Amino acid sequence: MTAWSYYIATLTVYFGVDVLAALSVNLQFGFAGVVNFGFIVFQSVGAYIAAVVVLGPSSGTFQQYVFGARLPFGVALLLATAAGAVLSLAVGLFSLRNIRSDYQAAILLIISLIATQVVQGYVPLFNGSNGITGVPRPFGSLPLSLQGYEWAYAGWVLLFCAVAYALVTWLSRSPWGRALRAMRDQEDAAAALGLNVTALRLQVFVIGGAIAGLSGGLLVEYIGAWSPDAWGYAETFVIFTSIFVGGVGNYRGAVLGVLLVPIVFLELPRFLPQVGYPGLMDSMEWIAIGAIWMLCLYVRPQGILPERRNRARRASGKAAIPAEPAEQMEPA
Amino acid sequence: MWSTFVSAVGFGVVLASIISVAAMGFTIQFGLTNVLNLSFGAVMTVAAFVAYLANSHGVGGWSDLAIGGVAGAALTLLLGRGIFKPYARRGAQLFEMMMVTLGLSLIIDYAVQAISHNNIYQYAVLPSRPFQLGAILITHTQLIIVFISIGVLVGLLALLRLTKVGKALRAMAADPDLARACGIRTGQIVVVTWLLSGFLCGLAGVVYIINTQSVGYTTGELFLPLVVAAAILGGAGSPLGAVLASLIMGIVTEVVSAFGSDSYSTVAGFGILVLVLLSRPGSVRGGQAGHTQLTL
Repeated sequence: MTAWSYYIATLTVYFGVDVLAALSVNLQFGFAGVVNFGFIVFQSVGAYIAAVVVLGPSSGTFQQYVFGARLPFGVALLLATAAGAVLSLAVGLFSLRNIRSDYQAAILLIISLIATQVVQGYVPLFNGSNGITGVPRPFGSLPLSLQGYEWAYAGWVLLFCAVAYALVTWLSRSPWGRALRAMRDQEDAAAALGLNVTALRLQVFVIGGAIAGLSGGLLVEYIGAWSPDAWGYAETFVIFTSIFVGGVGNYRGAVLGVLLVPIVFLELPRFLPQVGYPGLMDSMEWIAIGAIWMLCLYVRPQGILPERRNRARRASGKAAIPAEPAEQMEPA
Repeated sequence: MWSTFVSAVGFGVVLASIISVAAMGFTIQFGLTNVLNLSFGAVMTVAAFVAYLANSHGVGGWSDLAIGGVAGAALTLLLGRGIFKPYARRGAQLFEMMMVTLGLSLIIDYAVQAISHNNIYQYAVLPSRPFQLGAILITHTQLIIVFISIGVLVGLLALLRLTKVGKALRAMAADPDLARACGIRTGQIVVVTWLLSGFLCGLAGVVYIINTQSVGYTTGELFLPLVVAAAILGGAGSPLGAVLASLIMGIVTEVVSAFGSDSYSTVAGFGILVLVLLSRPGSVRGGQAGHTQLTL
């Protein structure tokens, strides 16, 4: 029973981190129409910053990295969030322009590739391909059993999820959120109404990046290590598939999608009998992710839980989408 | 210092030859259909594996190139008609199409990984003793690759300028609606596009593994951004532009690699792609006519 308890607790932590990731991506994509195919870079910068800030100064022989300030883990989480925000500000400033959406998505994907190359190539930054290890666990001195600690950490992560969920839902219901949706749906009209579209897009990108950085910090403090293998460009697709399955543009759907895709679907093969050579299941999982991706794009682009249209309208019995007005414009 | 530069330029020309075959295929496909096909690299890998299989069954040398090309053409036609067209019919725009190609590249790449048991296979088919050519140390294989790419360029330009099909291709790339109005059978021309660009894609895959002498599922993974950069930098739909841009990409990559390190050369290549995507005309949302719609 203890093994099961351990396993579920670990899954819960991963679930929480993925929910934060999905909230970040959903905020950027579902509400602002920005396709952040470089998402994993922002999670990763949060993880790296949290790691190097919590560790002591680099000895240079075991592993090399910058900073090394031995700060408390709470400050590390704050700095991770800030790192995500700062990096997304930098990236957003030069890549969030009025360009074709497929070019924009490709640019953010390429940035993810560039980041991997830079970190692997410049070793003194974050110890290159070997990555950083030995990150101490927060609250390690508390008198908790091993299992108790796992569950305590899971609760800690879920707390952040709840706060982030409340934050993004509140933001989406606010005038700012409505401005975002206007920008997503009809950018020219929104700009004509006086909304500063560039600033809006940048704001959303930065907030999403901050949440991504936070998720990275939480993840690295749990795992204790972080290397380029953990943040390949394809990891972003798992998150995107989650929000496709759950419903783009709505947060309950994002949570459902995260439950279905990384947790249920990707953990399922663990319980199936071993088929083929070792490692075959990993390939099949990625093929399945690609297949789900394409299926969602074909069948139901809006996902399983479609965005809730105007609740007030539905309550009063009116149609959710108003019919076309019958009157014609009088010629001048 | 100077000799390092010269030999780097030499390697750059070889790399450019490899990139250019793929870039010419990509630019024809992209220029006509307007699909940013990120599964192009995956198709290259499949064609390379087909050539490897042919080689391991005794079919050698030049036939491998043809077989790889045919495999690329067949697969691209299959994807174009069987996958891209249905999605376009359901209303996919530029962006959704790119997402579709991304999902497709995931499926193909990992299917290749699964079938190849995640192994890397040796592919040594041409002799590769280096010899001195002026200040450059080059192998026979690399020289052959350079001549292949020149041959492809000449053949492609001849096809586009001198044949009726070529004229139809150029017309459709410029303005599909006008071409349709002029009586050009656009459906057939799209099929020709898939076959032609697919053949070049497959050919590029085989040329790539002739150079690296090994084939695995990650073949061409880091190669695709260079190809896309060259195609877009040279102007979508222009083979000569693709070749010139490939020269730029190849030489810059090799020179940075010689004077910096390998990681930086990849970063330089990616960086050029980002700059090209940001600044090339036709990048702006709602740009020139013919560049905002899919032609499938």
